[in-house]
Amino acid sequence: MIVDGAFTLQGPRGVVWDLLHDPDVLVKTLPGGERLIRGADDTYEGVMRVGVGPVTAAEFSVTVKLRDKVPPERLHMDVDGKGGIGFTRGTAAVELVEQAGGATLMKYRAELLVGGRIAAVGQRLLDAAARHMTRLGLEALNRELQRRLAGGGAP
Amino acid sequence: MKPASFVYHRPGTLDEALALLAEHGGDAKPLAGGQSLIPAMNFRLARPAILIDLDRVRELAFITTGPDGLRLGAMARQREVERSPLAARAAPLLHETLPFIAHPQIRNRGTIGGSIAHADPAAELPAVALALDARLHLRRADGARWVAAAEFFTGLFQTALTPGELLVEITVPAPAARSGWAFEEVARRHGDYALVGVAAVVTLGAQGRCERASVALLSVGDGPVLAAQAAGLLAGQVPSSALIRAAADAAATRDIDPPGDIHASPAYRRRLAGVLTRRALTRALDRAQTA
Repeated sequence: MIVDGAFTLQGPRGVVWDLLHDPDVLVKTLPGGERLIRGADDTYEGVMRVGVGPVTAAEFSVTVKLRDKVPPERLHMDVDGKGGIGFTRGTAAVELVEQAGGATLMKYRAELLVGGRIAAVGQRLLDAAARHMTRLGLEALNRELQRRLAGGGAP
Repeated sequence: MKPASFVYHRPGTLDEALALLAEHGGDAKPLAGGQSLIPAMNFRLARPAILIDLDRVRELAFITTGPDGLRLGAMARQREVERSPLAARAAPLLHETLPFIAHPQIRNRGTIGGSIAHADPAAELPAVALALDARLHLRRADGARWVAAAEFFTGLFQTALTPGELLVEITVPAPAARSGWAFEEVARRHGDYALVGVAAVVTLGAQGRCERASVALLSVGDGPVLAAQAAGLLAGQVPSSALIRAAADAAATRDIDPPGDIHASPAYRRRLAGVLTRRALTRALDRAQTA
């Protein structure tokens, strides 16, 4: 499954870059994010509770490793998630482009493999669900960005 | 293929059902026909703690007409509505669409309200409710409200229903004079989830101009999608094949942003949406012109 798109964040690129490294911010922007801690080597580990529609929210443990970073322009993520109803693995590329007026365009492209029961039964809905969750996450990230810019620095 | 354990309630009246929903809120799931919920529970994807079976709430199984149009109780079975001469006269688009839903065995159990409240993006009834500008009656133990279909569907399997609230009735306005309708869909096999579907309603006015057009698509987004650009192109115009083509193009390219899956890529869904919208509008306008 490929999830790609672009989203305009209303804030400067440097601040967006910092937010993308702040586990306390990310846990609030991940849909269903419950906890997230930053380990060594830009590795983040956390727990999400994900449910869409008829699927009761189920726990996933997620590991994200950031690599090939070119601050504050681009980074790659290796994503690995496991839960009782399925798993996902893949990579994502994120690019931040400065826009006129101090905004930042985030371009993203993730190639994800989804398996397990959720993929066997819900295949036709995975793309829509992934887009839905991506949008929720980016809107939440933009809200956190506005809080940060408004001076609510500490989350 | 057995569900996780749950508490089962089988109220005999609407008041009892609403009281149970008020008591249990978001932990409880109404069971309205079980053709989507039960498979999801058997796969243990859905694990509701409490089921409130509406099967015995017979007061919600009505099919009747009133000054506002066709009135369907949420628990009216899809098959009953399909075979109701009253419903066929009062809502011909609905009548034309029902046979596309899954299979007769499923329509025997599946309910009108269950499908609409479930809000599957590939389901036919939400799109038809949208195209027909249906109004939905939502009740809770301590209140009630009416919601237009356009406000009811809010996202992927998301509706305006809040915990404790139950969809109890769907009202479909009577067709206007000189109106026509059509439903089109493509599925890999009859009864499968449609790759794309289109419900269209048009009303002609003076000098054969299109007074109103309503086009709703399914399986192309998070929920049923109203093709506003396509409808806007038709409004106030004398229909022609070129105009229909332009509206279908608008529906396919501007009104939707379809997802892909192993059966159909986004580009293929767009192509289908254009073709099916053209066919649906052509048939709907033909019907309106001969009405």
